This record gives sequence, structure tokens and C-alpha cells, in this order.
Amino acid sequence: MLRRALCLLLLLLALPALAHKASDSYLVLDVQGREVTGQWDIALRDIDFALGLDADGDGGITWGEVRARHAEIAAWALGRLALRRGGECRLAVADHLIDSHSDGSYAVLRLAGSCPSAGGELALDYSLLFELDALHRGLLRLGLDGSTQTAVLSPQRAEQRFAAGEVSRLAQFGQYLVEGIWHIWIGFDHILFLLSLLLPAVLVHEARRWRGVAHFRQALTEVLWVVTAFTVAHSITLSLAALGLVALPSRLVESAIAASVVLAAANNLKPLVERRRWMVAFGFGLIHGFGFASVLVELGLPRETLVLSLLGFNLGVETGQLAIVTAFLPLTYALRGTGFYRRVVFVGGSLATLAIALLWFVERAFDLKLISG
Amino acid sequence: MTFSELTCFRTIRVLVLPLAVAALAAPVLAAPRKPLADSELLERLPLRAGDGSARELAALRTGMLAAPGVPGPAALLAQAYFDLAMARGDPRYVGYAEAVIARFGEPQAASLRVVRGLLRQYRHDFGGALDDFAAALALDPGFAAAHAWRAAIFLVQADYAAAQQECATLQGLGRATLFGGCSGLVQAYGGHLDAGYRTLQQALATTDDPGNRLWLLTRLGEVAAWRGQPALAESHYRAALALGRDDGYLLAAWGDFLLDQNRPAEVLVALAGWESADNLLLRLAEAAAALRRPEAARLAQALGERFAAAGLRGDTTHRAEEARYRLRLRGDAGAALRLAAENYRVQREPRDAHVLFEAALAAGDAAAAQPASDWLAASGFEDARLRRLGQELMLAGPRSGIPGRQSPERRAASPGGAGR
Repeated sequence: MLRRALCLLLLLLALPALAHKASDSYLVLDVQGREVTGQWDIALRDIDFALGLDADGDGGITWGEVRARHAEIAAWALGRLALRRGGECRLAVADHLIDSHSDGSYAVLRLAGSCPSAGGELALDYSLLFELDALHRGLLRLGLDGSTQTAVLSPQRAEQRFAAGEVSRLAQFGQYLVEGIWHIWIGFDHILFLLSLLLPAVLVHEARRWRGVAHFRQALTEVLWVVTAFTVAHSITLSLAALGLVALPSRLVESAIAASVVLAAANNLKPLVERRRWMVAFGFGLIHGFGFASVLVELGLPRETLVLSLLGFNLGVETGQLAIVTAFLPLTYALRGTGFYRRVVFVGGSLATLAIALLWFVERAFDLKLISG
Repeated sequence: MTFSELTCFRTIRVLVLPLAVAALAAPVLAAPRKPLADSELLERLPLRAGDGSARELAALRTGMLAAPGVPGPAALLAQAYFDLAMARGDPRYVGYAEAVIARFGEPQAASLRVVRGLLRQYRHDFGGALDDFAAALALDPGFAAAHAWRAAIFLVQADYAAAQQECATLQGLGRATLFGGCSGLVQAYGGHLDAGYRTLQQALATTDDPGNRLWLLTRLGEVAAWRGQPALAESHYRAALALGRDDGYLLAAWGDFLLDQNRPAEVLVALAGWESADNLLLRLAEAAAALRRPEAARLAQALGERFAAAGLRGDTTHRAEEARYRLRLRGDAGAALRLAAENYRVQREPRDAHVLFEAALAAGDAAAAQPASDWLAASGFEDARLRRLGQELMLAGPRSGIPGRQSPERRAASPGGAGR
């Protein structure tokens, strides 16, 4: 009878039935250069087996019983995890929390620390619980300078090395290159600005009339000047902004970009600048650079590969630009002598561009939603 | 050594299912948190410091620590952990046992080699386990348990001649019960169910040990079911359950028997409170699905998460169960067939053939089940249901049938097979 009563008592105290699974800890580490942050989830049941948490021996572990042993738990766990990057990294437990996994409650150790070196491979040596539970595994998710790797840490593979080597840097460069191309491709304001400057490249304005250029070379030279000036200009401001040296309010930048498209299109309809369009490209290119930078800031630049990523993004933008020019120039050169080009493409295109850019300008400058989202 | 004083848990099991189901429905705490009160209960330990088995384990552990490097106490502790793992279906105790053995590097004592063999066979490292048992026997030729385990592994590998040799050795050692259990199973697996049944019955008559009786009664239940005698099988299973000892294998076999007999409602009662053990959760989920219970989806979901978690660790010992889960609960015949075929490369008991046949039929790929068809032809295994399934598959021919369509229809006709 007593046993039955005890059983019922136990039942009333029972927590929900949970999975029986072999012991795992979940280790998430983020190593950026020297700096280490992370989180380590270790089952309370495992900590109890190693350290004995159930102070009052009632078969239950309370927050009070865990809290009283925080320092000991931290020392025990950190004593079984070694990180090396150019030497031993110093690790500390910044905070103690609790989380639930499928097999019960876990202590959550928030980790912070630093390594002697900001680069090179990272070595990790894990020995938590192995002397008590040979089936214990550490499930690692490691972010190393922006690239993520996973590993299972076992007694047989307790020490593992992770390369932050050439491959990941190259991959990072490639990733930002693609982002750059993508941004030019979806950035209609940049494309329209460029096209507005390039549309007259295959024409000359003489005696208040437009006519086609005589030689391809003439058009090519003009295009090269414009594109190079635009590139140099936006590269300067993109770098300055991405490195945090200059910051402009995004509303101002976006409005100015729209205004630059308006002016470039208007110049085609009523030419003010004819000979030195590259200077226009350069001047407004400075503004467009700030626009590119805001994208890059949103993407987040990994500090360790800052210059590489910046270069990748910039080259991506140039590649996209080059693709547009390569497709554009032969076509317009072929059509330059036709009335269709001069009236429909050149005048009509510039008018349409002007209209759209004006709308953008109004939207951006006055923070309205007219057509675009 | 016994852990049957844990009978308390049996009382709880019956009452705890609704609670457990409610817990599965409760929202999972998604983010790390800081509890507000010191009194908040975070975790309930599987053993209380004061209860019988905890005291027993603590004493064994103290014994091991007091005598470092001495094989005897370490083997006792490791064996106790392993027994507890088997009773509870809790693999953490397997890890504890492994760590105790690992202290010895390459163990030199027969007792330690036998426990390491047990742990290796648990991980399906059958080659390593056979080596350990052989090494133990080289040190101590009279170690009957080592012969019994070697026989069990040969049975799983469908090497009945090798198994029979171990049985003969057990007879030579005068171990009538172990010999009877051993040779009865070799007969049953090898195409002689009636003879096997009689031999197992004779073995049962030789022993009063509750552990041995539970094992023999369980196997008698399985053999009777294969012979097409469900009433007899049920009486054996009930006799085994009446011994009042926790045993994961018995509960799984009983659950499968009930599923085969189209009695899923009784599975929910028999296995109530056991969803923490993956293999029993599988039976519960299948029963709930057959009954179209509202908790069916949650149980299947929980099971899927268990397999995913095991996958993260690179654990592949549950492929037979995972194949059943994929086939019967997810209707994914392709994945089920892949798992069942991989499992059959390692384990070749009737239940392994069963899930492979079933998956191959559902996937319309008879060729994938060829190894099991070969075994059925060679062994002459007599279970009518399995033979029917094999025939169905042969008639279907290689690469015929409509993938994913046959499974539910077939399932309605015969809801399942044996399994662990």
C-alpha cells in the first residue's frame, strides 16, 4: 500500500515523458578572427551524472540546485573543451540559461572568449563526459570567419582541425562577386543611369541635330570614358562607405540617385553637357557608390575578409555593368543610323526614363509610395 | 542481478499515457531561458538516490572506484548498466557501461571481454563482438554466457550451422536451459517450428530463474505465432508479462503480436508510458495510426525527430525500425526499402526479412529483397504469413507494381510483423 502511494506521489511529480536517447551535447561556436562566441547545451542529467546536482536526493533537479553549482559546472565543462588558434584560446561562460531538448532539460552555457591569432586553422579538443559515457557525442556547429562547418565529436575523433584556408576565402570572394552582379541586375536605377549616358554614345549632336557616329571606335571611346569614370567614382564612395569612413542618410542617397537619372535623361532631350559626359558619369557615380554600399552593409561584411569581400562585390558590379555594355553597344551601333533609333529608342527611351526617374525621385524624396514597392 | 524492484514504473505507465500525450502536444520551449524561481523543477532523474537500483548501482560504482584496474567489480558495474539499458530502453546506460570497460584499454579478463562483446553486439558490431566472446572463451572455456551470445549473433546473421555448434557446446557444459533456448531457436529459424517449439518448452521446464523464464516465454510466444497459433502465443506472452519485469524485447514482441492480430487498441494500453523508448514508440505510433487517433500525428512526428537525432550522431542501429516508420507511417516506400535493405546486410532474422519484403512490395522492387527471398528458400522458415509475403513478391516480379500504392492495402490485410 505504501509502495502504491509512493508510486502515485511520484506520478504527480513526474515531468512529461521524454525521449530516451544517447547523450549528446550541442556546441555552437562562432569564431571571427580572434573573437569567440558560442553556446553549449549540456543535458542536466549528464551534468548530474558527472557532478551530482541533486543536492537533496529527491530525484528532481531544481533551478536552485543548478544555480548553486554554476561556477563548478562552468569549470568542469570548460576544462573539457580546448580551442587553439595560434595558441590556446581563453574561454569563459558569460551566462547560464536553461533550454529543453527532446530528452529533457539542458544547461545552456553562453560562451565568450578570444584567441591569440586572428587567422589560420582552428583546432578543437573535446572530452566532455567521455570518461563516464563512451557513447556521448558533441554535435558541433562551427562558424569560422563566416563559413559554417559541422562535426560530430567522439572519443575516437575528440580532436579536430578546421581550416579557414584558401577555399573558404575564395568562396567568400565568389559569394560577394555574385552579390555584386545580382545587385546591378536588379538595380534598375543604376542600369537606367548608365543607359541614359550610353544612349548618345553612338550619336553626335551637330547643328542641333543628332546623327550616327562614323566609326565604331568613336562610340567605343566614348563608352569607355563613361563607364570607367562611373566605375572609378562609385568604387571610391563604395569603399569609403563600406569601411565606415563616410556615412550619408540613405533617403538622401536614394533621392540623389533618382535625381541623377532624371538629369542624365533630360540631358539627352535638351543637351547641356555634350562633350564631357564622363564628368557627369563621375560626379553622379560618387552618389551611386553610396547606394551600392548600403546593400553591402545589409549583407554584412565579414571583418576578416573585409577587403576581399569589398573587392569581390565591386568586381561583381563591374562585371554586371560590362555585360550590359557588351550587349548594348553592338546593337545600338548597328541601329545608330536609323530614324527608329534616334526617335523611338533615343528620344522615346530617354523620355520614359525621365518619367520613371521623376516618379522615383518624388517617392524617395518625399517618402511616398506611388508605383514601386 | 535484477532491477525488478522498479515495478513501481509499471503502475505509473498505465496512468501516465494521457499526460505524456498532453506533453507532446504542449508547445516546445524554443529559446534558452532563465527560470524565475529556485524551486522550479527542471529535470526528473531516472533513478532517485534512495531507490533500490540506484543504491545497487552506487555500491557497484564505489566498488569499481575502490579497486582500480581490477576486472571483477568493473565487469559487474558494466553488466548492471547494460541490463538497465535493456530493461528501460535507455541508451545512456550503454554509454556508461562502455566507459567503464574503456578504462581497461584492451581488456584481458574474460568477464570484461564478455561485457564488451555485449556492448559491441548492441552497436551491431557483430564481428567485434564474436571476437570478444571468442577471446573470453580462450581465457575461460567454461564461460557459458559467451557461447550463448555467440549463438545469438549467429542466429541474427542466419548462420544456423555455426549457431548449432555453440548450442552443442552449451549442452556439453551441462547448461540445459541455455542449450534448449539455443537449439530451439536454431530449429525454429531453420525450418522446423514444431520441433523448435517443443525444445523451447523443454528448456522452460528446466528453469525457475525469472529472467530465463521471461526470455523463453517471449520466444515461445513468437514461435507459436509463427505456427499460426495466436491463442497459444498470447498465453505465453501473458505469462512472460506476469513476471512483472521490465523488458524492452518482450514489450516490442507483444506489441507486434497485437498489431499483427489487428488489436491496436491493446497496444496503446500495453505500451502506455513507454514512448521514451524508440522501439516501443514505433509500436505506439503504428497503433495510434491504425486507430486514427488524434495523437497519431504527434507520435509519428516525435518518432521522426528521434531518428533525425540519431542520424546527427551517425547512429545506424535502428534502421529496421526506421524502415517500418518510413513505410507504415510515412508511406515512403523508397526510403523504407533502402533502410530495410541496408539493415538486412547486417541483421537477418525473420522480422528483418519481413520489413524488407513489405518495403520491396510497396516499392515494386522485388530484386531488392532477393537476399531475404534466398534466405527463405534456403532456411525453409515456416511462418505462413512471411511465406505468403515472399510469394506475393515473387509473383509481382522484379520492378513491377505501383510504388507507394500497395502498402496501405497490404497493411489493412496484415498490419505488421515482428520487430525490435
